[in-house]
Amino acid sequence: MNGNKDDTSSKIGMWLFILSEIILFGGLFILYAVYRFKNPSAFHLAAEELNRPFGTINTLILITSSLTMALSISCVQKGNRRSSLVFLLATLLLGFVFLANKYFEWAGKIHHEIYPDSPRLLERNKGEILFYGLYYSMTGLHGLHVLVGLGVLLFMGILITKRKIDETNFAPLENSGLYWHLVDIIWIFLFPLFYLIP
Amino acid sequence: MEKNKEEKFSFLDHRTYVLVWLVLIALTGITVSVAGMNLGRWSISIALVIAAIKSGFVLNYFMHLKYEKGIRLFKWMIPGILALLVLLIGLTFFDVAFR
Repeated sequence: MNGNKDDTSSKIGMWLFILSEIILFGGLFILYAVYRFKNPSAFHLAAEELNRPFGTINTLILITSSLTMALSISCVQKGNRRSSLVFLLATLLLGFVFLANKYFEWAGKIHHEIYPDSPRLLERNKGEILFYGLYYSMTGLHGLHVLVGLGVLLFMGILITKRKIDETNFAPLENSGLYWHLVDIIWIFLFPLFYLIP
Repeated sequence: MEKNKEEKFSFLDHRTYVLVWLVLIALTGITVSVAGMNLGRWSISIALVIAAIKSGFVLNYFMHLKYEKGIRLFKWMIPGILALLVLLIGLTFFDVAFR
């Protein structure tokens, strides 16, 4: 018997963690704001080299994964384990495709010898170097969060399969969902800042 | 088996989720089109406002914030922290913008 279960507290705990993550990325956003302010045209030039369709597709992928995540939780709440697993699998798949896309994007840049501290990059002007520094660190940190999220969701899938998560006990899945939506929100901000600089 | 049932059944029907998803897709489309227009210094503000609106939808519907009962303070934590961030960026610019 699980006498110590307190779903409300665990949910609040996850929200507090989310707040800390917002501050974490917030710090990087402050950096971005200042450097972009000081190097407007360099940022614009560098951003043009990023693949806008790729970025847009990735945005749509994460938004859809948030939908499937919400649907997965909703299914568990209604006692429909099978559908819940299907939606969870969809979320995992979409998240994986997102990471695969990022891998291709980064690989493309690295192939052109544009990566932090590369001689090729250092030849460019200061603003562009800053842009790419921010690009790699922010999308990299975000990508790490996506990867961890996939691990967590995989674990949730196992729990659902073993019936450890069902309509009477779904807080872990709900909280994992909160984390996943956070990852989506962060990308919602990253996307225009890196891919859509006018 | 005593569970805290009061705020448990706050799930939305699937239709609402799909509607929110469609709104998010539409807003993404708007963001991308606006980026193609020549709006100068307004572009970034518009892009950020739309991003904030999208986040609002994700927070309120996908993350259930709109439907969380009881704990008043809870719902305002996120807007609060975002206000803090805006303040931090704003204050930073008070320095950086005048150098």
